[in-house]
Amino acid sequence: MIGQYIPGHSPLHQMDPRAKLLFVFAYMFAVFLANNPATYGLLVLFTGIGIYFSRISLSVFYRSMKPVFILILLTSLLHLWMTRGGEALFSFSFLTIYEEGVRQAIYISIRFFLLMAAASLLTFTTSPIDLTDGMESLLKPFERLGVPAHELALMMSIALRFIPTLWEETEKIKKAQMARGADFESGHVFKRVKSYIPVLIPLFISAFRRAEDLALAMESRCYRGGKGRTKWRELHYSHLDVVLLLLFVILLTALWLLRK
Amino acid sequence: MIQSSRLITMIEIAVMTAIAVVLDRWILFQMPQGGSVTLVMVPIAILAFRRGLVPGLVCGLLTGILLLIFSGYVVHPVQAILDYPLAFGLLGLSGVIRLQSYASRIAKVLMAGAGLLIAGGLRFLAHYLSGIIFFASYAPEGQPVYLYSLIYNLTYILPQILLSLIVLGLLIYSAPQLVLKQR
Repeated sequence: MIGQYIPGHSPLHQMDPRAKLLFVFAYMFAVFLANNPATYGLLVLFTGIGIYFSRISLSVFYRSMKPVFILILLTSLLHLWMTRGGEALFSFSFLTIYEEGVRQAIYISIRFFLLMAAASLLTFTTSPIDLTDGMESLLKPFERLGVPAHELALMMSIALRFIPTLWEETEKIKKAQMARGADFESGHVFKRVKSYIPVLIPLFISAFRRAEDLALAMESRCYRGGKGRTKWRELHYSHLDVVLLLLFVILLTALWLLRK
Repeated sequence: MIQSSRLITMIEIAVMTAIAVVLDRWILFQMPQGGSVTLVMVPIAILAFRRGLVPGLVCGLLTGILLLIFSGYVVHPVQAILDYPLAFGLLGLSGVIRLQSYASRIAKVLMAGAGLLIAGGLRFLAHYLSGIIFFASYAPEGQPVYLYSLIYNLTYILPQILLSLIVLGLLIYSAPQLVLKQR
């Protein structure tokens, strides 16, 4: 329904979320280092190996990237048409395609794919709750500067917990109002907008009530914030994360040596 | 009776974040260029009016991060930050307006609209900047990237702001208790 996580036991699934978060962030900047066939080839190979080891089928990646295909197509066409330089490969009245334009169009499309694939690999192989734990742990050092890492992570976990519940509730209220004759699909804009109100008010009221219940329950159990709190699930780095770090260092060095 | 207002504020932020993510999936109008109009801004604005500026900012920030995790598309690292945590976080700025200090319903509705306009405008600015970065790193040199980004973002943010304005106005008019801090 919501979210992209695909449960599994691949090496990528087993890596520590902190390691994956840091890696993806650094990798996205590294992608911009590529500027010739060798460096782009290396990145494609590297990402391909990552996709292979995630044991997630290519059709899933294809589906998640589909919305940006049109964007990729448009920017590629723009480059084909506008970028000048090198030999003219093709000419037809006002349209001339240059070597440089073709090269840029290919590079840009590859860059799109690399970035999308990296982001998808992270969200496909890491559950949102693991990502939350990872972010909390990475933010911990900033607690001294006043960043409430524990509170932020707690709020995010609670939000994650409530998304399916509130989704169901929204659907239920929508159906209940439709049974009473509400119409969300037709009519002019203002009439439609007005029909959302009898859905939103019960939704908000019940959500605030749920919030109150939960706060009360937590307080009765003596919730006192982050200090000294222990965790049910703890994060541990493993040899896989060391491998990831080493791979990244090798990749970065190779990129540096191969780029023009 | 709940003692800690900090705790109830935190939980309300979490629940409104969840609603924002759910509403983001309820596509009301599909724009021809691909953007979609949803009510994702409404819960963030309601929380900002109810609990104030900082909780509003946090709610927006969390919504942005969750949307990024669930369905975000990343074409540039800086674009990802501008388009998700920052753009949605700025929505919390509607909390600069203190609705509690206005007595009449009409005044509340009008001021809430003003707050949402400010926040929506800033959100637009974040998307606009990210668009410039995006086009600048992907479009050929010498292109009017400022214009591209402006047109692209206006086409979906503007209807979204307008729709949220109407819905928020109707909501606050018919259920003013939503924006009233309970305790």
